[in-house]
Parts: sequence; structure tokens; C-alpha cells
Amino acid sequence: MAQHRWFTAIRVAQPHASIWSGLSRDRVAVLLAVVTIIGIAVAFVCAKNTSFLMPGPLTSAHGVIKNCSGCHSKSGTDKLTWVKGLMPSDPHADSKACLTCHKLPATAFNAHTASEAVLRPRTERIGKRSTSVTPPRSAVVQSVAFPTRDMVANGLNCASCHQEHRGVTSRLTTVSNEQCRSCHVLKFDSFDGNHPNFDSYPFKRRTRIIYDHAAHFEKHYPEVAKKDQTKRIPATCATCHNSNADKRLMAVAPFEQACASCHLDQIKGKERASGPKGIAFLTLPGLDLQSLAKKNAHIGEWPDASDAVLTPFMRVMIGRNDHGRNILKAIDTLNLQDLTTASDDQIRAVANLTWEIKTLFHALIAGKASDVLGDLNIGTGAKLSVSLVADLTASIPRDVLIRAQQQWLPHLAGEIADRNGTLSNPANSTAAVSSQPVPDKTDNRQSLPETSQRPADGDAVDGTTAATDDPQDGSERADTSSGAEREPTSDIERPIKRDPPACSVRVFGQCLVFNDQTDNEKTAASSKSASPSDADDADRKPEPPPNSKATFSTDSFPGAMRAGLKDVAQAAQGDTAPKQPPDPAGDQTDDLLVFTPEEARNQKSGVHAPSRADATSAPIDKTVGASTLPITASNTSAPIVSIASDIDGETWAEYGGWYGQDNEISYRPIGHKDKFLFAWLFLTGPQATKGDTSPAASVFNSLTTKDAQGSCTKCHSVDTLANNARVVNFSQASIETKQGRFTQFIHEPHFRNMDDSGCLTCHTLNKASAYSKSYEHGDPLKFASNFGAVKKDLCQSCHNTTMAKQDCTTCHTYHIDGVTTPITNTKNPIQ
Amino acid sequence: MKHRAQPDRDSAFGARRLGPAARLGSRSLQSFSLAVLFIAGASVALLWLVSLYGDALRDPRYLDGWILVAAISLQIGFHIAVKSIRLSPKAAAKWRKTHIFLGYALIAVFVSHCDFSLPDTGLEWVLWTVVVLIICSGIFGTYLSWSRQSKSGIEDWIAPDRIATRRAEIAQNVHATVTTSSPAAELALPTQPHDGWIMDLYSTSLAHYFSGVRNISAHLVGSHRPLKRLIDEIDALSRYVDPPGKNKLATIRLLVIEKDRLDSAAVHAALSKAWLFVHVPVTYALVVLTTLHVVMVYAFASGAW
Repeated sequence: MAQHRWFTAIRVAQPHASIWSGLSRDRVAVLLAVVTIIGIAVAFVCAKNTSFLMPGPLTSAHGVIKNCSGCHSKSGTDKLTWVKGLMPSDPHADSKACLTCHKLPATAFNAHTASEAVLRPRTERIGKRSTSVTPPRSAVVQSVAFPTRDMVANGLNCASCHQEHRGVTSRLTTVSNEQCRSCHVLKFDSFDGNHPNFDSYPFKRRTRIIYDHAAHFEKHYPEVAKKDQTKRIPATCATCHNSNADKRLMAVAPFEQACASCHLDQIKGKERASGPKGIAFLTLPGLDLQSLAKKNAHIGEWPDASDAVLTPFMRVMIGRNDHGRNILKAIDTLNLQDLTTASDDQIRAVANLTWEIKTLFHALIAGKASDVLGDLNIGTGAKLSVSLVADLTASIPRDVLIRAQQQWLPHLAGEIADRNGTLSNPANSTAAVSSQPVPDKTDNRQSLPETSQRPADGDAVDGTTAATDDPQDGSERADTSSGAEREPTSDIERPIKRDPPACSVRVFGQCLVFNDQTDNEKTAASSKSASPSDADDADRKPEPPPNSKATFSTDSFPGAMRAGLKDVAQAAQGDTAPKQPPDPAGDQTDDLLVFTPEEARNQKSGVHAPSRADATSAPIDKTVGASTLPITASNTSAPIVSIASDIDGETWAEYGGWYGQDNEISYRPIGHKDKFLFAWLFLTGPQATKGDTSPAASVFNSLTTKDAQGSCTKCHSVDTLANNARVVNFSQASIETKQGRFTQFIHEPHFRNMDDSGCLTCHTLNKASAYSKSYEHGDPLKFASNFGAVKKDLCQSCHNTTMAKQDCTTCHTYHIDGVTTPITNTKNPIQ
Repeated sequence: MKHRAQPDRDSAFGARRLGPAARLGSRSLQSFSLAVLFIAGASVALLWLVSLYGDALRDPRYLDGWILVAAISLQIGFHIAVKSIRLSPKAAAKWRKTHIFLGYALIAVFVSHCDFSLPDTGLEWVLWTVVVLIICSGIFGTYLSWSRQSKSGIEDWIAPDRIATRRAEIAQNVHATVTTSSPAAELALPTQPHDGWIMDLYSTSLAHYFSGVRNISAHLVGSHRPLKRLIDEIDALSRYVDPPGKNKLATIRLLVIEKDRLDSAAVHAALSKAWLFVHVPVTYALVVLTTLHVVMVYAFASGAW
């Protein structure tokens, strides 16, 4: 019977078929196989490289890659080395090759390139919802047949989502919804289907800038408008917000545009009703001098009328080394103005504190602030940059320090020089506390040790001598402020860079002739002048006798400090007083530092300058402004003609800057974005854990209190981090702060979809929210927003099957920290 | 002389005028439909599986590629089995079914493996061309067998190697029929002109027709137009001849039809051998290229499988 089934119609070669026909067909088959092998071999031989093996062209972005080994790390460069790729090796080797151009964090192969700490809580939170959603069948089958759990656990490859060799126009970044769904614990069909509702979108945390919209709308703006109609009240949301700079967020207008009219005076302190308007930075803290004298604590001169306290900034500066930290630790519980109950150790610590403060002043005058404060023990412990130190000191002028030193500690240079000689003797390395009472000084200052009382011990003198100029080697010593027990980074052990002298003749930008001699030349000249045979230079400073260990030279100090030291210098040098100012004006920036005519005459006539005892007994000049630095007669040898003013320093610095007042050098913020405040808050925040009493925490706390000068934290919120460190949010939300988010929203395309209520279509103002209370603690995640959360239904009204697209990647980002392609590391041709 | 033409052969020619579906019969149509549905279902299932695989953050080309490799290995196994093992007719029929089903299902997998696009590079083009050749030759072979079976229907009554012999026999029969005188001629009646017409027909058309395989192109495309033209000529002549002549022409007519079927069988038998000369050797080349392809893919793999 005929079988009309189509599949049985093929006639199978039966054994009775002719043998020759089957053999010939097989021969042809084998022959063709051999020809194929030969053809492949010929292709390998004739090809210039292995690009003919490519399964398809690369995308245009990768089109410049010519070598397979550029991405396929194991393929090598020869025609057959690609076979090595069959050997087992690092499964992420090729993906790591991607990272040579595309910069990603260390968690590059994690899902969403996020750390486990980021992923785990989110996964757990979303996982709780998964029970309420019925996953699509295909998702269930996929998760059973091809689970992704192990893939994710072992690290995803770039090629998992970005598959190359699909043509020049292919889009590597295209990811399907199903691909996204394959990993997620919550599997749903679509956004307008079972996509979960939003929690509190878009508010993940409280705003960094504290701005109570409701309070401003309801209270502040009406009050301002009533009080001063010239002040600018925002008319629309767009007055303060725009999305021009970056489409993804509504940026807030800058302070100057949006806030300055009302808040600038608060920063500058103009509106402060009470308390100082400046920030006390450097002070000579008030001390119980009587108790110190009774305990024979040797602190040198110290103003007795100071009520100032040790500022947190000084604590940081003093505590920059172990010695300072020990001192601070010892005096931590002490009331410096009442030391009657202090122990000997505490008295010794107070004495050491005074010397630390003096040393600090001395060092700040003698050297650059960046050299002195570069090792501040804040931040990561690394040496601070020059610019940062400049910010930390608000570029405090040297003259301000010199002025203060001359007024408060006129004999500082001699004291430091003398102390250094003392400290060079290990036996005298700490402040002495003697049981023998010391004579009380008539000027109510602790006495500067007499030069003649300096220890004659050779070692100590050596130390002093070593700290002075060494004309033999021509090196310039900065000062003698460091003792033997100091940190090795102290200024005395570090060469101090000086600015080059001014140029006299410049040709094509090159200075040919300088205004002054170099320091070496000066030293050489000095040496030359000291020669007995050179009568022409007889009026120059004499060179210290060779090997004269007891010699003390004021040249070791900058000219600015010699004003208060000349008597000491003269005492040390006997009748060989200089006949002209010892240093060129290049080192002197203040008229007070130049010898007065009277001083010059005295020197020329060989009359000794008033001794220290004389100076200290001189009457205090009361002509100086009432509340500015009190200048005493001990400060200068010549009368100072002051300009009387009834404006105190604080008022004078109305527009910000430095001023001295009441034994304090204070700083008034100059306005918004004050670098001084920013630098200190930025650096001390990470160390200022709550409840900490460290110097850094003291600085941070002092600048973030409700009544702190500058009022930074009135608007800039303070967050407490996981390690209890704190950080001031100086910046508003930006692309950088948006990084790490899984959701993105671009405002601009949605503007035309708003109804008559404008922005309030999506952002409903919540007048009753306790917005301000959100900032009473440090947790940014516990907050009440001014605005209600956006509802999913609102988005879904457009983003659905029939209208706007609803792909996962429309709103969600995979690489939450972004992917950057850095420029190549092109070296300078000279290298 | 006894004619070998059987009455049922006439009915077979008559059935050939009907459509293929009618010829196949309801059972064959059902079988064909089921086969098509099965292949379509298998293809869709494979594509869905590949799609799921791709959704699971893997490169789907690995899955469909391995499916292709596995299926090709199975097909080659069929070839080896046919060559080396003496299969029973029943086992051979099962092998054939599997081979064909798999072959058709692989078309979908291959298209998926190519990412529904044409190749981009030289090596890919070579591989793609080889696979396409095998697929096309396979489809052609299937069609050829179905065509030979359903259109000619000679598979069951004559072996291919008997075609030539049978064609010669038919030619002799026709010649004998034409040249044999009718009994009436023995009465010495005047010669009828129509006897000359039959001879004339033989000398002008039939002799050439029966001397070898004719109308090859028409048989390749399944056309019956040449046969119909010849039959119409015979039928037209039969209206003008006497009853013995009519009997002759009727006998010739049957032999012409049988000869046509023999020609058709001969053409299909030749094509059956020819397409395998493409299908099998190219498969050998495919094996070589596939081996290279797999090695290359894994040597350059970036871990997305």
C-alpha cells in the first residue's frame, strides 16, 4: 500500500545501492573538508592579523580599537596566541580591561556597581514586598532555568549587559526590562502594572540647605515685604530654582541671588545683638599670675590684664604634636585664671602652655604659616597644603601678628632665644617650677631672664649658638624657637623658603638684577665687614668671635622681631652696637619695626637702649585706643604717636577680616563662602564626634552652635556620619550628591505637563510638617519634608503602555556612581 | 500482445489532475499539518528559551550555538548510522523522521544564532553560507522526496533501477502496437488512410518521445503540459480512425502516460542523488568550520555565558 506520508518519501541509501556512488559522495565530502581546513590555514597565513576572526564590527565608540588584545586580555598579539584564551584564568580579566578606560569604583563587578552595604538593605526592604506581587511566568521560568544568583555573587562581567561585535550602530547600553528583572527579588511586569508604589520619593534625606519653604512663604517673606519693600522677595519658584545647568535637578540659585539680601548681614555679624562679632583666633589667655609666681613657675613676660581664654583654634595648633597634646591634657580641667589649687604638675603644664603659645607666636612671625601649621593634627594627619593653611588662618597678615607681639610680648624674641638655650640642656627641658620664690617684677609681668643669667653650660650655649646665623656655611636659620624636645618638624629644623627679592632689571621676563643682595651675599658681606682689617665696614655688625659659644645674635630673628630684642642684643654684644638698622626693609613690613630716629641716635651715640628693667618700669602709654591692643611702655623704646579713634577693632572690621582687641586676635567673616570658616569646619568635622572634647571637636562645636559667628549652620545642615563624625553640608544637592542613587528624574520634559498649580502639581506644600525639627539631630534620614511625596499614580498617568515609555532605565540608573572615561595620561613632552 | 498498462494507472493519472491536498488524502494532510505544527512549536519554544537565556544576563548566542552544535552532531550521527549500521526499515524511518524534524527546527535556532541578521565578516559569511547550503539542500531534498512520492506515485510500483528497462519495454510495446496490422487488413480491403495517420503520429512524435527521458524541465517543475499536449493529439486522432485504430490509440495513450511517469521517476531519482552531493559534503565542511568557531568563541569569550 502506498505510503503518502511526506516524511517517508526520502529514500535512504540502501545496502543494495551502488557502492561507487556512495564512495564518490564521501570522497567529495572528505575532499571538501580538507579544502576547508586548507582554506582556513591559508587565511591564517595570509591575514595581517586576527581581525578576520572578529564575529562582527565593534560599535563606533570602540571602533578605534585595532588589536584584539586591547579588550581580550589573553589573546596576545600573534595570529595564534589567542588560543591561550582557552586556558582557565581570571574570569573578570576582560572586564578589567574595560576599566582601563571606563573608570568605575572598586565595586565595579557588583550589581549596580554598588557595595554590599548599599545593596543589602535595599534588597531586604524590597524583598519584603515581593510576596505581595505575583511575578510573571516568564520571570519564574527564567529564575528557575537560568538563575542569576551565582552570577551576581561571583561578580558580573561587563559583557553580561554590554555585548560587543554587534555592528557599528549597535547600542551597547541598551538593557531590557527582562534583564533588569532577572536579578531583582521583586519581579513585576511593568511600571503601570505591579511596580511598587513610591515610599517618599523624591526625598531620601533632609535637604542639605536648611530652607523652610512653608515658614518663608507664610512668615518671613511677608515680614520682609512689610519691613523693607526694596528687598527682593522671590516671585516664582523659578526665581530660586532652575534646571538649566543640569537637566536632572532643579538647582538652587546662588546665595548672592537668593539669600544675600536678608542673610548676608547675619554672616558678617552685623545683626548680632550680643556677644563678640568676631571669632577669637589667637589669644594670650588670662592666667593666675600670682599663683604661678608663688609656685615659681617661669613663664617669662605675660600680660596680667588678659581675660581671654584659650581658643579652640589655639588648642588645635598647640595640640599638633605630642608635647602640645600632653600640655592640653594636663590643663584640660584647669581654670587658668584661678590656679590656687593647681598641683605642681599642673602649674608646670601651665608654664609650658605659656611657652607653647609664645613659641607659636614666634614661629608664626618668623616663618610662614604653612610651615608652622602644616602638621596640624587634623584631617587625615597628612601635611596640610599651603593654600589650606592659608584658609585656616584666613591669610592672617604677618603685621597683625607682629603688632600683637609687640604689644603683648615685646621681648618674645629674647625669651625664645634664651629659652632655646635653656632647652638645649636636657636638664632644663621643661618649664622650671622652683620652690624658691622669684622676685616680683614691678610691671606685673613675669620677668624675662637676664642674659647674664643664662646658663653658662656649654651645651646650652652651643644650642643657642647653633640657632643663630652660621656665616661659615651661609645657611640662613629661621629662628630658634624649637627646643630639643620638639617634634622634628618644628620650624627650626626646617629650612624656610623665602620669597625672592624684588627685581630691579628684567629682560624678557628674566630678572637680571635684584634689588637686594641674597642672604648668602649678605652673610658674606657681614663676614667681610667683621674683618678687623676692613675699616670701611667698621660700622657694620661685628661677626661673632670664632668659637664664641656665649655669643647671641639677633640676626637669627627676622627684622620684624628685633624691635623688642635690641636691648637684649645690645646686652649680649656689649659696646658693639650696630650703627644702622640691622636689616633691610625688605624684611620689615611695619614702620614700627624700623628704628625710630631716637633709637638710631642712641645707637649712633653709643648710648644703650633702655634696659628691659627700664622698659618694663616705664609708664603705660594710655593714648592708644581704649579697647585695642594695650600698648605699654615696655613695648617700645620710642614714643609712639597713635591716631586716636573711638571705633573699636571689632567695629572697624565690619566688613570682615582680622582685628586685635583685648589680648585677642579675632576674625570677622567676610561674607558667604568664608574660607576660614569653611576650612575649619571641613577639617574638624570628621574628628568632631559628638561628645568629644578634643581640640578639633571644640573648634567644630564653637563654629556650629546656634549663636556661632558666621551662622554657617543656620542654613548649612550638619550630618552625623556612621562613625559619629560630623560634616557640614556646604553644597546643595548636585550631580555629585545625586550619585549613588538608583533613580533619576529629569525635570525639564515634565514642565509642559504641569497643570495650573505649576510645580505644586507634583510637589504639594506641606505647611504642617515639622521641617525645622528635622535638623535638631544629626541623622539626615530622619526628616520631615516641606513637600509631600510624589505618587506613583501621578507618574503612571503618562508613563503607561499607551503613552510615555515605561522602561526600567527611563527612571533607574544601573551604574549608580556613573561611569567616567578619563582622559589619557599624556605626559609632557619634556618627560 | 498483453499490455502491461493497468486500469488503476489511468486512475492514477486522473488523480494527478487534482490538487496535492486531494491526492494526499485527509490522513496525509493531518500528518503534514501535525508535522508543521510540531516544527513551528519546537522553533518557538527554542526561541523563547534563547530569549530567557539572554534575559538572564547571558549571551544568548552561547545557548543557541550549543543547541546548533548538539543538533548538528545528532544529524551527523544519523549519517554515520546510515553508513555504518545496517538499519531495519523501521529504524531507518525513525531516523529519517528525527533528522528532518531536527533539521527544520534548527532553522529557527540558526536564525536566532545569527541574531536575525546577515553576517558581517568574511569568516562569518563562510560559516553562514555553509549552513544555509545545508539547510537549503535539506529542504530541497525533502521537497524532492515528497514530490516524487506524491506527484508521481511510482515509488511503490517500480524501483529506480528498473526505470530504464521498463522504459525500453514500453517503447517496444508502442512500436509493436503501431506496426501490428489489424485483423481487417487480412480481408484485403482497401487501405484506410487513418492507418497512415497513426504511423505518421508515431514517426513524428511517439518515436522520439519513447526513445529516452523527455520533458526533464517539465518534470523538475512538476508541469504536465507536454504530456497533456501529446495526449490531446492522440485523442484528437482517435475521432477519425476506425475501431481497431481507436484501440491502438487507446493502448498508445496508456503507454504514453506510463512513459511520462517513468520519466518523472527517472528525473527525481537523478535529483535525489544530486542533492545529496551537496548536502553531505558541505556538512563535512561545516564540521570543520564549527570546530574552529567554537574554539574561537571560547578563546575570546568574556565570560558572559
